[in-house]
Amino acid sequence: MAEHTVAAFDEDLGQISRLISDMGDLAGSMVGGATKALLNSDNALAQRVVSDDAIMDARQRELDDRAITLIAKRQPMADDLRHVVGSIRMAGDLERIGDLAKNIAKRVGTVGLSATPRDLSHSIDAMAQLVLIQVQGVIEEYAARDAAALAKLRADDERIDVKYTSVFRELLTYMMEDPRNITACTHLLFCAKNLERIGDHVTNIAENAYYVLTGTQLPANRPKQDETAMSAPAA
Amino acid sequence: MLSPDMTIAAEAVAKAKIEVKNLNFYYGQSKALKDITLSLPERSVTAFIGPSGCGKSTLLRVFNRIYELYPKQTAEGQVLLDGQNVLDRSQDLNLLRTKIGMVFQKPTPFPMSIYENIAFGVRLYEKISKAEMDGRVEQALKRAALWTEVKDKLNASGLSLSGGQQQRLCIARTVAVKPEVILLDEPASALDPISTAKIEELIDELQAEYTIVIVTHNMQQAARVSKQTAFMYLGELVEFDKTEKIFTSPREKRTQDYITGRFG
Repeated sequence: MAEHTVAAFDEDLGQISRLISDMGDLAGSMVGGATKALLNSDNALAQRVVSDDAIMDARQRELDDRAITLIAKRQPMADDLRHVVGSIRMAGDLERIGDLAKNIAKRVGTVGLSATPRDLSHSIDAMAQLVLIQVQGVIEEYAARDAAALAKLRADDERIDVKYTSVFRELLTYMMEDPRNITACTHLLFCAKNLERIGDHVTNIAENAYYVLTGTQLPANRPKQDETAMSAPAA
Repeated sequence: MLSPDMTIAAEAVAKAKIEVKNLNFYYGQSKALKDITLSLPERSVTAFIGPSGCGKSTLLRVFNRIYELYPKQTAEGQVLLDGQNVLDRSQDLNLLRTKIGMVFQKPTPFPMSIYENIAFGVRLYEKISKAEMDGRVEQALKRAALWTEVKDKLNASGLSLSGGQQQRLCIARTVAVKPEVILLDEPASALDPISTAKIEELIDELQAEYTIVIVTHNMQQAARVSKQTAFMYLGELVEFDKTEKIFTSPREKRTQDYITGRFG
């Protein structure tokens, strides 16, 4: 892409791109770290994830400031304007992903106390891996300017929703089998919900990234397969 | 209730006030406009943007044939005003220039009183009483949002006004002869920000009654005041679309490069 006549404009835009990239990397490491800490009852790792959230928040504030200043100074148009506005939105979603990862990490202490058996956490692990792939993928594909891949990634969130529904049911059966599982499973349910929400934020990022790259919106309806709120068939 | 698709379709068939068809323009042997075809909707503001020398002012000057004041400038093709080709030899030029008024970058008040600046043009075409003329002058100055500032000094010279006021006087002079189209060639580039804002506000009001074409170097101004925008480059019409589309996601790379400051 050709450079702006005023080089400082390119520098300003570049700083915003770098912040998004940094926030994306941090989101990936926080989600990965929180899940690992949960599955291995690793309190030290959990603590690091919690403190990383402060860095994420600071990045978002910095991006907001830079974006608003750029709009005031440069009056961006067309793709530049979409880039800046899109970055403000994506930073908001990345910051929420950080919050959700922190919330998972905060539960490590309580879940760990009840010595979670491996089979309770197996499904969460599988779900977390799906989510991590999405988080890392969305930033890579935006950086690679691959609109088609972003559209596919957004549709792939369906797999996370399906996984969440099955994790939900699995955790319910563990709780029904043995009441001593209830505390751990309840925390794991919240963790699973947080992972599902992280997946939703990734689809928001994908939608914004698609708009930034192409100037058109993805269709409003994407497949949603989270059936946990639907009433169960009669027993 | 209209669905979004129907609304867009309805807008698309808004009546064309000026239709340009295969227009070519020459300064001597040099071709300044290359096969221009576009349609300007009535009672709407259209902006022409593009780098220096792209032909936007040239195109504007074809609409009221003001280029004919200069030698060796020729136009070929059709420019239809309500279906009538203004380039036809049989077209009455004076009548054309009352229907299509023009305001230039540098304000050009006549060296007469404010009152006479307005009355002069009206008198060329109509014979009306003093009372009627007073009414016409007041109406024109009100239309140009200048009345309250000058009503107590209508006999003062037009040249005694500030730049922004002089420009509004020129606009008043244009609307006094009841045009249908108003051409604005960078009307605010010589003015301070407050005067510019007043001119933009005026354009916003005038478009309810007149078809307006504005040539401007100021991208943000084009985005603010117009409903559709034409981007020109080296005598060609590169892209013509709704203003919000041009400035948020233009189709052509050249358009995007120009409006984002990547040109040259």
